[in-house]
Formats: sequence, C-alpha cells, structure tokens
Amino acid sequence: MTESVIFVERTLTSRNKKVLLVLTLIIVVFLLWFFYRSNASTTSQIYSMNTIIDIEVSGMNRQEIVSQITEEINNLNGLFDDFNPKSDISLINNKAGIISVKVSPDTIDILEKSKEMYTKTYGKFNVMVGPLMELWGFKTGDYRVPSKEQIDEVLKLTDINDLIIDKTNLTVFLKKKGERLDLGGIAKGYTLDKVYAILKENNAKKAVINMGGNVLVYSENSKETFNVGIKHPRADGIIAVLKVKSGTFIATSGDYERYFEENGKRYCHIIDPLTGYPADFLTSATAVTNEGYLGDVLSTAFFILGEEKSLVFAKDLAVGSVTVDGNLNIHYSTDLSGVITIENRG
Amino acid sequence: MGLLQLRTGDKIILIIVIVSLVCGISLRILFANGSSKIVLIMVDGKLFEEIPLSVNTGHNEDILVESKEGYLSVEISNGKVRVTDSTCKDKLCIKEGEISKVGDTIICLPNRISISIIGENSNIDTVSY
Repeated sequence: MTESVIFVERTLTSRNKKVLLVLTLIIVVFLLWFFYRSNASTTSQIYSMNTIIDIEVSGMNRQEIVSQITEEINNLNGLFDDFNPKSDISLINNKAGIISVKVSPDTIDILEKSKEMYTKTYGKFNVMVGPLMELWGFKTGDYRVPSKEQIDEVLKLTDINDLIIDKTNLTVFLKKKGERLDLGGIAKGYTLDKVYAILKENNAKKAVINMGGNVLVYSENSKETFNVGIKHPRADGIIAVLKVKSGTFIATSGDYERYFEENGKRYCHIIDPLTGYPADFLTSATAVTNEGYLGDVLSTAFFILGEEKSLVFAKDLAVGSVTVDGNLNIHYSTDLSGVITIENRG
Repeated sequence: MGLLQLRTGDKIILIIVIVSLVCGISLRILFANGSSKIVLIMVDGKLFEEIPLSVNTGHNEDILVESKEGYLSVEISNGKVRVTDSTCKDKLCIKEGEISKVGDTIICLPNRISISIIGENSNIDTVSY
C-alpha cells in the first residue's frame, strides 16, 4: 500500500514537472512575442510645412497615432503655408490693406502667440518679415543682395502693430498693402505642440518626431532618456548630443539650411527684422524647451542675438540654449551642463 | 527506473534549447558589429533604395534618383555619399557636400528626395538641424 502511494506520487510529480516546464516555455515565448510587438515601431516620412517630416512611433496603437499626426500636420499646413494660395495666411496676405479675412481658430492662436513672442524677443522674432524674405529672394530662389534704400523701404512694411487680430469674430487684417505674414519661424514648433497633445491623448508608448530639424521626443516613461544630436554647421555629423527626457522640444536655426553666397559672404534666410539683413553672428543656435512654438521662435531669436545675449535671454526664460559661432566655438546655458556632450572632432 | 531516464532526456533537451538560444543570440550580436551603415534614399516619403555603405573598397556607384518633381544624381564612393547633380534651383543638396556618418542626411526639398545614412549601432535617436 505504502509503495503504491509513493509510486503514484512520483508519477504525478514527474508529469507535473514536464507540464509545468512546457507551460513556462509557452508563457515565456508569448511574453517575448508580446514584448517585441509592443516595442515595434513605425516610421513615416512626409513632406509638409515646406520641409521634410520624420515620424517614428512605437506601441500597439502606433498606426492610429501616425495617422492622426499626419492628418493634423496636413490640416495645419493647409492653414499656414504661404505657398498655398488657399491657406489662411495667403488669404490674409492677399487682402493686405484691403479687408479683414475670416480664419480658423488655430490661425488666430498662432498669430496671437506670434505677437506675444515679438514682444518677448524685443522684435527679433517678427512674423511680418514676409516682404523682407521676398526682397532677398528667399521665397523664389532668385537670391540677390538688395541696396540699403530698398531694405529701408521694405522695413516700413514690417510693423507688427499693423497685424490686427479680432479674436471674437475670428478675423485678421493687415493694415498696409504689401505687408505679408511669414510663419516660417513658428509653424513647425506650433505643430509639434499639437503632435505632443495627440501623443498624450493616445497614451503613446514612445515617439520621436523630427519636423525639418525641430525635434520632439516622447515616452510614456517619464524617466526614459533620448539622445538628440545637434548638426555640425560646417561638417558632416553632429557637433553635440543632448540627453533629454520626454516632452522636450529641441529646435535649431542654422545658416546652412537656406543661403546663398555673393562675393565670398554668406547670406542666410534668417533675417534680423530690425536691421533688414541676414544675421551673421552665429552658424547655429539651438533652443531646448518644453513648449514647441517657444523653442522654434527662440532658436531664431538666439541665432539673431548672438552668443552672449542668447545666454542671458535663455536664463531669463528658463530655457536651454546652445550656440555655435563662426569659429565653431560652442557655448551653452548652465542648465544643460549635465545634459550636453560636445563631440570630439578627431 | 523508466522515470529517471525520461528526466535525463528532458534535461538534455533543455540543455540543447538553451545552448542553441545562446549561440543564436551571440552570433547575432557578433555579426551586428562592424560597419553596417546603409544609405537610405527616400523619394516622396517612400523608400527608393537601400545601399550598404562599405568603407574600404574603391567601389564607385552613381545613382540617378527620380521623383515627380525632378531628379538628382547621387555618388557613393569610399564610404562617402554626395549629390553631384540636381534639377533643383538652389542646389543646396549639392552644397551640402559629402556625408558619411550615421544620422547624416542630405535633403533636396524641391525634389522631395532625402538621402540619409542609417546604421544599427548609432545611439543617436535623431538630429536637430
């Protein structure tokens, strides 16, 4: 009796062990597959906002998220793109000095933020630079160096106070004929804010969005870090790396993106609205912020201001700044000390 | 007696599975190292071609990349990539010069063509420019 009891016990134990092993293997395989699937990412590249946009999203719901992001980008592009004659901005520009135009709430929003940023940057960021951009040929590619008289004449058309926004009736009016809005320095950052909202709403697992050099990194894990490089302004590769967390926006303005050279001098597309001439203190300026439109605007302002003023300005606004001058000297705000790594050029 | 033999057999199977897993993973890691750079050419947002970028050969390659908007010529030689000719107006893609590092990109916006260097071993998530 005792022997058979022992025999039965042993049999059961052995079989249970095998079953347990197989079950464990199945569960492990399933977990690995699930882990792989949920970390799989989708990348998408689209052309919009007059630039190239790279979208990378991970997680089970990534397709839906990419779809929503693409739709929002195209939607905002339809409002802000001044090359599209039907956009809100084009309609406003075409009716300058004539009549006010009814626009979408997003257009009102971005223009109000633009006015606010004009004040904050002491005029270094100005969405009324359209006529100046045209004068230098940056709209058509017919680059030219205008005369001082021509510049002074056109500067009269860049008065921010001529931008009249009626928030109640959702209308915008440019007072003088010839005035033109250009949202090139804020549209991408503004759109990234919307993208950030979409990522949060959908509980995205992880995402890296690069909109023509304006970067947003996102992770459901607030402690996860991303390595974002800053392009070297004069050579291939990167000049520095920023180790940042979810919800960080990194925007860079450089003199290598759109420029022409005449008589050995480089004229880039970032024009100082106060002087009417392209800024030339720096080769690259980066703003590190937690708001998209702010970063986009500040990277332009930093670029125009130059290194010293940028650092003071960045400190006042509690944002990060990195500047590279004509001799490739790099300066950055103290809050980036633990975050930035300067690449060694061997 | 019969039970003990089965157990040993189980153990053997288990050991074989673990050893092959370890071998498989090690091989993957070993082969992933080295210069596994790839030139990624995208046209209108879609993949056009992927070309491995080998560093040492005197191997020259010229590729004509066409999009709906125009075309450009890409030269790949000695591990470096550059645009030699383009129908775009501002020729910024040509002015960009040569690229060779993972994460580098040449973009021809008017032609909607992007040429980037990707690789497995880069720890850079993206580049702000």
